Amino acid sequence: MAVSKGICESLTDKEIISKSLEQVEYFACLYDRYEPRFQRYIQKISVCSREEANDILQDAFIKIWKNLNNYDDGLKLSSWLYRIVHNETISFCRKKRSYGKSNVVEIDNSNLINLAEEQPDEIDPEEKYFLTHQVLDQLELKYREVLILKFLEKMSYDEISDVLKIPEGTVAIRINRAKKVFIKLADKQNISFIG
Amino acid sequence: MKNAEKLLNTMKEQNIKPIPKWRFTLNRFLIGLAIIISIGIGGLAFSIILFSIQQLGFDLITHMTHSTVEFLLGLLPFIWIILLIIFLVLGMVSIKNSRKGYKLSPARLLAYNTSFSILFGVLFFISGGAQWFEHVFDVNVSSYESVREKKVNMWSMPEKGYLSGTIESITDNSLILRDFSNKRWVIDFKDAKIPAVLDMEEGSEIKLFGQMISKTEFKASELKPWGGNQRFYNGRNGNKKNKD
Repeated sequence: MAVSKGICESLTDKEIISKSLEQVEYFACLYDRYEPRFQRYIQKISVCSREEANDILQDAFIKIWKNLNNYDDGLKLSSWLYRIVHNETISFCRKKRSYGKSNVVEIDNSNLINLAEEQPDEIDPEEKYFLTHQVLDQLELKYREVLILKFLEKMSYDEISDVLKIPEGTVAIRINRAKKVFIKLADKQNISFIG
Repeated sequence: MKNAEKLLNTMKEQNIKPIPKWRFTLNRFLIGLAIIISIGIGGLAFSIILFSIQQLGFDLITHMTHSTVEFLLGLLPFIWIILLIIFLVLGMVSIKNSRKGYKLSPARLLAYNTSFSILFGVLFFISGGAQWFEHVFDVNVSSYESVREKKVNMWSMPEKGYLSGTIESITDNSLILRDFSNKRWVIDFKDAKIPAVLDMEEGSEIKLFGQMISKTEFKASELKPWGGNQRFYNGRNGNKKNKD
């Protein structure tokens, strides 16, 4: 029996989790709630197609379901979900590479433009800076992921630390370095930024 | 079909269930246990290193004429140093794998882990546990060279000016010493430096710096108390009495 949209919306994340353990249908509420955000995130981090992002998200939610009893109340639920989705995405990318595909992600400018258009208008200039340029996708994964989490997903250092399972100090250092590499790459390609 | 429905269908078709809570609890318990064991054994190793330093002392270094580095290497309780390093690393790995362990930087991990091991080691050493544990280890592991054995060997080199043993009798300027291999020596201590803490009486165990005059005579330049609690050692010669 499907749970209605109204009921789903009235429940908090934690209520959905506890209800899911009693009645599996409630788990769909969690999926619906996070689907758009995670799909965007997966595409940003891996630059994969929408279909691939769907597959990754399905696998990630199965993992979330299996590990539901391992959720730590002391952690923000969204951080925990992001962690699993992130790991699933990285593991998908690794598998893809091991099947002989190139390590270099082909950049399709139209994807990036779409990505930029997906963002709300009230986006701040710093966010636009990262969004609208292909430089981000040329960064090493460890730099790309922190910039995406910080500037696109608007996470705090503490939340990024929970998602990537690295100390906050390391997060700060990586963001700093990532910004420098980003600017260097952009300069090399004579890309100028607005805002 | 909505993606959420597709997900529910997959879960139902494949009968995927959440992993039971007890498995995660057990996992966390095992990690906690690994942390405690690592800190415990690390602390134990550290306490025996402290005991070795206390027992062997490094006052001999100032009197050494041959290679000090070689001498120092011979004294180092390698097995305990290696154990300490191994369990510090294991402790760090265990803490890193605990729920919030990833929040700690490697430097902090090392600092916390080392501090706990040192704290436990010092407490164990102060309570006398290190000496007891070292003795138990000595008795049960045949190839192990105990701190006492090392100490006896170190202070049984009369030709190099180091001698030790028990006072058998004493006069104004000389005494009879039975060394740890049961050999008798006549010690001339007329010009020797004698610390106030040294009990110059029959039955006292002492160590001496000086010069070997003959196969049974030794001229002491400095006398020191042997040091160390004797309650775990029944014999005089420092051998593993209980092993046989």
